[in-house]
Amino acid sequence: MFSINFSCKIVICLLILLVCLSGCSATNNQTISLTDEHPPPGKKLLVAVLPLTNLSSTPAPLDEISQLLLGIFKQQGLDILPAQTLESFIEKHRIRYAGGIDETTARDFRYETGADAVLITSVELYSDVPPPKIALTCRLVSTGNNPKILWMDGVGLAGDDSLGILELSLIEDPRELLEKALSQLSTSLGNYLAGKSYWTDSQRDIVKFWPKRFYRSPILEREWKYTVAVVPFFNLSERRYAGEIIALNFVEQMMIQRKFSVIEPGIVRQLLLEMRIIMDDGISLADAHALFSKLNADLILAGKIFDYQDYPGTSGKAKVDFSALAIERRSREVVWVCQSHNEGDYGVFFFDWGQINTAHVMASEMVASALETLAE
Amino acid sequence: MLWLKQLYHSLFGKEISMIRVIKVAYLKKLVVSLLIVFLLGCAPGSTLTYYHDPSMDFAAVRSVAVMPFENLSREQNAGERVRDVFANSLLSTGAVYVIPSGEVSRGIARAGMVNPAVPSMEEIGKFAGIIRVDAVITGTVTEYGQVRSGNTTANVISMNVQMIEVQALRTVWTASATKGGISIWDRLFGAGGEPMNDVTMAAVNDVLNKLFM
Repeated sequence: MFSINFSCKIVICLLILLVCLSGCSATNNQTISLTDEHPPPGKKLLVAVLPLTNLSSTPAPLDEISQLLLGIFKQQGLDILPAQTLESFIEKHRIRYAGGIDETTARDFRYETGADAVLITSVELYSDVPPPKIALTCRLVSTGNNPKILWMDGVGLAGDDSLGILELSLIEDPRELLEKALSQLSTSLGNYLAGKSYWTDSQRDIVKFWPKRFYRSPILEREWKYTVAVVPFFNLSERRYAGEIIALNFVEQMMIQRKFSVIEPGIVRQLLLEMRIIMDDGISLADAHALFSKLNADLILAGKIFDYQDYPGTSGKAKVDFSALAIERRSREVVWVCQSHNEGDYGVFFFDWGQINTAHVMASEMVASALETLAE
Repeated sequence: MLWLKQLYHSLFGKEISMIRVIKVAYLKKLVVSLLIVFLLGCAPGSTLTYYHDPSMDFAAVRSVAVMPFENLSREQNAGERVRDVFANSLLSTGAVYVIPSGEVSRGIARAGMVNPAVPSMEEIGKFAGIIRVDAVITGTVTEYGQVRSGNTTANVISMNVQMIEVQALRTVWTASATKGGISIWDRLFGAGGEPMNDVTMAAVNDVLNKLFM
C-alpha cells in the first residue's frame, strides 16, 4: 500500500505539471491589442515582399508584376528581404495564404528574418485586351507582436482613361499601363516613407457616389476614432473574390480617411478560421460576439456584394452594388447600414466624358462616401 | 368663348356664329380629354395594395426579422437583392430595429425551418423565440428584370410582403407593389427604362410608405 507521503508527492508533482502546461497554453488566448510600438514613418525599413495574390479571377503575369514591383520599390530606398530568405521562411512555416498576415506569422517574421514590415499586394484586375486594364492594392504591414497596417493604397487604371486629342494619350501596351500603375503606388509609398502624407484629398462627385440609403445609430460617438475589423463580404456577384476585394477597399479607404484604426485583415481571417466561423448569409451576432472576445475592435464591418463588374475591351460598363453594416461592441447591435450602387456611365452624356472604366476606382469612391456617413 | 370669336375675327377678318364657336370649344375639350386618357394609358405600371390590421399597435413592434424572400422571377438572387434593399430601407427609417441577415440565418438553422421563405406559424413562433423579435416579415418577388414589348425593353419589379406578429401569430400587415415597365418615353425614344436598382428602391419605398401610413 502507498504511504500518505508518497501520495502527497504524486499530487504535488501533478499540480506542478498542470501549472507548467497551463503556462504553455497562455500565448494563443491573449486578446490582440493594437497599442504596441511600430516602425515610425521615415525609418529605413527592411521589407519582405510577399508573393502576389491574384484576385482578378483571370490569368495575370504575377512574376512580371512582382519583378517590376521590386525594382520600383528598391528605387524608393526600401531594403528588400532577399528572395532566398523569404522562400525558406515561407517553406518552413508552410505559409499558403499571402493576402494577409496573422499575428504568429508577423512575430516569426520579425524574430527569424529581421524584417520590419511585409508588403502585401493583390491584383484585382488584369486585362490585356486593348485597351488594357489593371487594378492593384498594396499595403505595408508591420511585423512583431502586434501587426499594424502602416501604409495602404490602391490604383485602378484603364488604357482609355484619358484619350486626349486624336486619342494620342491612349495606352495600348499592357506593360506601359502596369508601369504607370506601379509608379503611382511607388510615389505613394515614397511619400509615406519620407514621412509625408501619401493620401490626396478626394475630388469626387459627392452626389454621384453618395450611398443610396444609409442609417447611422445615435449611439455612435461623433469624432471618435473607432477600431474596426473588416470581415470579407458575402459574395452574391458573378465575380469570384468580389467579397475580398470590396473588404480590401473598405480597409484602404479607412486608412486613407484616417478616421478609423483598422485591424489587419490577415488577423481577422486567421480568427475566423480558428473559430471555424462560416458566414452563411452574412455575420451573425453570435459570430460577432466571438470575434469581439478575441479582437480589440469597437466595430465589426461586414456586408454583401451583389455586383462587382469589370469589362474587357471597350464595350461594357463597370458596375458595383454592395450593402454594408457595422456591429458595435458594447450594444451588440447593428449601428450602421449602407446601400450603394453605381454604374460607370452614370451621369455621362457627351463623348464618354467622366466615364469610369474600372470597378476598383468606382468602388473606392463609393466606399469613401459610405465611410463618410459612418464617421460623420 | 368670346375670346375665340375675337381671335377668329382678328385672323380671318369676318364674324363667326356663336354655335360654331361652341362646337369648336367642345371639340377642343374632347381632344384634351382623349389626350389625357391616352397618356394615362401609356403610364408605366405602378400599382399598390395593402392591408393594415386595425387592432394592431404597430408602435409596439420594436424589432423585426426579415426572412429570405421567395423568388418567383427568372433572375437568380432577385429575392436576396430585394430583401437586402427592403431590410436596409426599413432600418434606415429608424422606426424599428432590423435583425442582421446573418443572425436571421442562424435562427433559421436553429429552428430547423424547411422553407424559410414560406414558414409555417409554428416555425415562426419557434424562430422568434430564438432570435427574440416582435415581428417577422416574409416576402415574395414575383417579377424582377427586363420586360420586352416590340423593340422596347424596360426593367420591372413586382413584390409583396407581409408582417406576422409573433405573440398572436397573425398577419398584421401586407402590401404589394409593382414598379417600372415600359413608359411612353421608352416607346418613343427607346431609353431602356430606369436601372433595376432604382426601380427596386422605388417599389420598396412604396411598400414602406404603406407600412407607416
